[in-house]
Amino acid sequence: MQSTVLMSAVAALALLGSASALAETKIGTAGPLSNAEALFGKTWQNGMQLAIDEANAAGGVGGQKIQLVRQDDQGDPKQGTLIAQKFCDDSSVVAVIANFNSGVTIPSSDTYNRCGMPQVTNSSNPKVTAAGYKNLFRPMANDFMQGAAPATYALKTLRAKSAAIVHDKQAFGQGVADVFKANFEKGGGKVTSYSGVVATDVDFSALITKIKTESPDVVYYGGTMPAVGLFLKQLRELGLKSAFFAADSAFLPDLITTAGASNAEGAIVSFQAPPYDSSPKLMKFAVDYKKAFNEEPGPYSAYGYNQAAIILAAMKPAGASPTRAAIVKELQATNYDGLMGNVAFDEKGELKEPSLFLYKVHDGKFVLEWPKTGS
Amino acid sequence: MTSDRSALNGAAASPALDRLGRARAIALPLVALAAAVIAVLNAPTYYVRVVDMVLIYVLLGTGLNMVVGYAGLLDLGFVAFYAIGAYSYAILASGQFDIHLHFALVLVIGGALAGLAGVLLGIPVLRLRGDYLAIVTLGFGEIVRLLLNNLDWLTNGPQGISRIDEPRILGFALAEPQDFFWLLLPLVAIAFTLVWRLECSILGLGWAAIREDQDAARGIGINTTFAKLLAFGLSATLGGVAGVVFAAFQRFVDPVSFSFWESLTVVLIIVIGGLGNLVGVAVGAAALIVLPELLRDYAEYRMLLYGAGLVAVILMRPRGLIDRRYNPAWVMRLLGWR
Amino acid sequence: MAGFLLQQLVNALTIGAIYALIALGYTMVYGVLRLINFAHSELFMLGAHISYFLLAVAAANAGGAALTLVLLLVFAATFVVVGLIGVGIEAAAYRPLRGASRLAPMLSALGVSIVLQNAVMLFVSRRPLPFPAFLPQLSFELGGAIVTAKQLFIVGFSALLMVGLTRFVNATSFGVRIRAVSENLQTAQLLGININVPISLIFFIGAGLGAVAGIFYSSYYGIAVFSMGFIVGLKAFTAAILGGIGSIPGAMLGGFALGLLETFGTGLLPIVSAGSIGTEYRDIFSFSVLVVVLLFRPSGLLGETVTEEGMVYKRDF
Repeated sequence: MQSTVLMSAVAALALLGSASALAETKIGTAGPLSNAEALFGKTWQNGMQLAIDEANAAGGVGGQKIQLVRQDDQGDPKQGTLIAQKFCDDSSVVAVIANFNSGVTIPSSDTYNRCGMPQVTNSSNPKVTAAGYKNLFRPMANDFMQGAAPATYALKTLRAKSAAIVHDKQAFGQGVADVFKANFEKGGGKVTSYSGVVATDVDFSALITKIKTESPDVVYYGGTMPAVGLFLKQLRELGLKSAFFAADSAFLPDLITTAGASNAEGAIVSFQAPPYDSSPKLMKFAVDYKKAFNEEPGPYSAYGYNQAAIILAAMKPAGASPTRAAIVKELQATNYDGLMGNVAFDEKGELKEPSLFLYKVHDGKFVLEWPKTGS
Repeated sequence: MTSDRSALNGAAASPALDRLGRARAIALPLVALAAAVIAVLNAPTYYVRVVDMVLIYVLLGTGLNMVVGYAGLLDLGFVAFYAIGAYSYAILASGQFDIHLHFALVLVIGGALAGLAGVLLGIPVLRLRGDYLAIVTLGFGEIVRLLLNNLDWLTNGPQGISRIDEPRILGFALAEPQDFFWLLLPLVAIAFTLVWRLECSILGLGWAAIREDQDAARGIGINTTFAKLLAFGLSATLGGVAGVVFAAFQRFVDPVSFSFWESLTVVLIIVIGGLGNLVGVAVGAAALIVLPELLRDYAEYRMLLYGAGLVAVILMRPRGLIDRRYNPAWVMRLLGWR
Repeated sequence: MAGFLLQQLVNALTIGAIYALIALGYTMVYGVLRLINFAHSELFMLGAHISYFLLAVAAANAGGAALTLVLLLVFAATFVVVGLIGVGIEAAAYRPLRGASRLAPMLSALGVSIVLQNAVMLFVSRRPLPFPAFLPQLSFELGGAIVTAKQLFIVGFSALLMVGLTRFVNATSFGVRIRAVSENLQTAQLLGININVPISLIFFIGAGLGAVAGIFYSSYYGIAVFSMGFIVGLKAFTAAILGGIGSIPGAMLGGFALGLLETFGTGLLPIVSAGSIGTEYRDIFSFSVLVVVLLFRPSGLLGETVTEEGMVYKRDF
């Protein structure tokens, strides 16, 4: 009796499997959609949607329409693994772009690895690729680059001697702040204070008043919007004139509106894409994004577009029925001219030639300040 | 109580019925177990993973229920004990300090550490009642989370501890959700049995007395201090055990997983299920874990629907989904065990 | 150093005034219903969002001297709208639960809070809104500290609202009824008070004050975002507890005390401890002080001392 139940269950599963094979080919994605980071998650996924819509408009991949399945992980590791399992079980999902937060990607990559799912991540923490999973790819610079470039710039170009470092005690914020600190000290600079705040804080006046007594040449803020904007605003309002640095989440017009144009003037933000007006591709992306979603791209929209485009390119050689294994294989050999430069992965799944650009706020706009390419 | 007795009388009255009852008592759990085996072997792994999460929350709910449901003390910082258990395993079985203790050993250590923390928290807050107790426990929960986030040398701070060891039990490595199901099922069964025995014991009656009227309870000679401390300690121990399993299951811990929301979720589970009732805890955990999963495909609308559903359920059933009548004794009668 | 301390004091007073205004809403509701109103923080958030749109309309249609009047109108309109939302929430989500266990309305409030927050995120804006600075950008130096007009306005206006509220509760017939129901709901009912009126009034005033706090907060920091409520609400609630929940002067004292504690935790603790305790220990510090205060004064700084025998409710939950 048991065996008949078993057999019928297996048969039912097989039927389900064949049914979903007939369905569209899907790319899954999971990021924060309903917590404080919802803006980042949503605009990041919008970027992927744009890439996929464009591919579908051009006839899909191998004649197949591609569907983006958006999931909300709330930046919560246990939801990230649940979603990972859900994607793994669904045989029509052939690749995922997940996750946004490093703390979610690390546990979810275990699950994705077990089912051989090609996973492209947006998490920049160096530990994400530490397990050496062959199916995990990061087409962007990690925190090492993001924190190191501003330190070099502060030391060499600004000739800064001292820096006050503030971070939000989150994996990303503290990660980049640590790298900045190490590089700044290695280059002979003096770190006057290294302070942690709370990511949801809005009032930094007490901390800034204290930093003011140290009169540092540079203030580095490792954290995300909107805190960066509020910090910068209060920094200037309390009369501290030091050069100000922030990481890529602040590459948003909101930085300028939150802080006020005069307060934001001169602030330096690191970002991985060249200026939107520097290449026809990026210019087209910015215009298309605005047309599709009726708003300016978010700080990670270009990343999302790029990540989806890389997967779509890797799906092409397999034609109408790409398998997870085939896509992983293609991704390993990727040599793709993406939105933000050439994409090729090393054996750990890291981008071979990550790029980083420093932008300076000038007259209410981000202006390229320091181009640099290389590893 | 009356229905209890009549059921007993009924069973005693007819030997034939008694025999039938005993057969049923043996057969039904076996059938249930067989069904579980078949389901778990065949269900998509995602479902099994959801069930695992439900079982972890059943453990948590069972623990918190002792303090809130039995003794009537509102604890809004229960997540602290869960975190202590999880970080015990993360620190004692990972590359963090290159210590790799056995899972079963850490299960004991984590439970004991959490229990100790529970008693230590219990001692100073014994004087407090009601919402003041709630706020002090909330503060305690937040302090523990912030310490985990700040003590980088010990906990690796916001980066969390990754690549935690896969537990090995009797030579089997537990990796897949299916494996953890077989670990969690007996754990929950043991916890349920022990806690149910406690609820029926003199200590359980003492807790109920404290819940109804603390002064009167003291008046009739209940050592309220001892009873409350025991409630805190035992509940924290279960929270710690759940934490150890969670850490082994996720193989990653970070402070984000132990926010105030997590405490609220466990409170929601026991209140929605039905306060002070183990069957309610199980139903509440199932409802509150499965509901958001069912809403998965609504992506960003999910939390809106979840919140609305929460309000609707509480308005419709303010005393919880499961009436106190339907307690484990009722289940056992249903199975014919009495 | 004097300038440094003075600056920190100014910082503390501003944030403290905002905490105090929000704490009032928690404490008034708690005083009557013994309910931790988790939705209150979202009313604070709603206040910021509603006034954002009203201000946009106002700025488009008025200028010069009329602007001051329009501003006051915006304040009043936000107060009334959010106040009514507060009353509506009470009637829909808490009143049906009045006889049930005390945990049910608290969790219902939690559900309402999730709904409000997500509704604003989905249907208003996910992006932080740049809040217009309607106050003159003036600042002056005072003994080495920079004080802005905004700060003076926030502290002054909050103080005015609190004095007004105290007068209202102490010297009007509505106030007497509010005090009666918060003293003892059942007895007030026996005395012939229609308890729904004062309860609605409490929700109206509490929500309205929370909304005004939302306007202050958003104009001070220049931002309104759907997720702003939860953490600030939790802190304001902590302030209410610290001051003694149910006590109006207590909420004010608690708000300012928490502002001072946080500022001290960030600005001075690292200096006092010679760097061994960093700024990231601020919240641990505040919570520890809260716990210690409650251990020695179990009903907060200004709360009435509740003896165990004097507890009206024998069952806590």
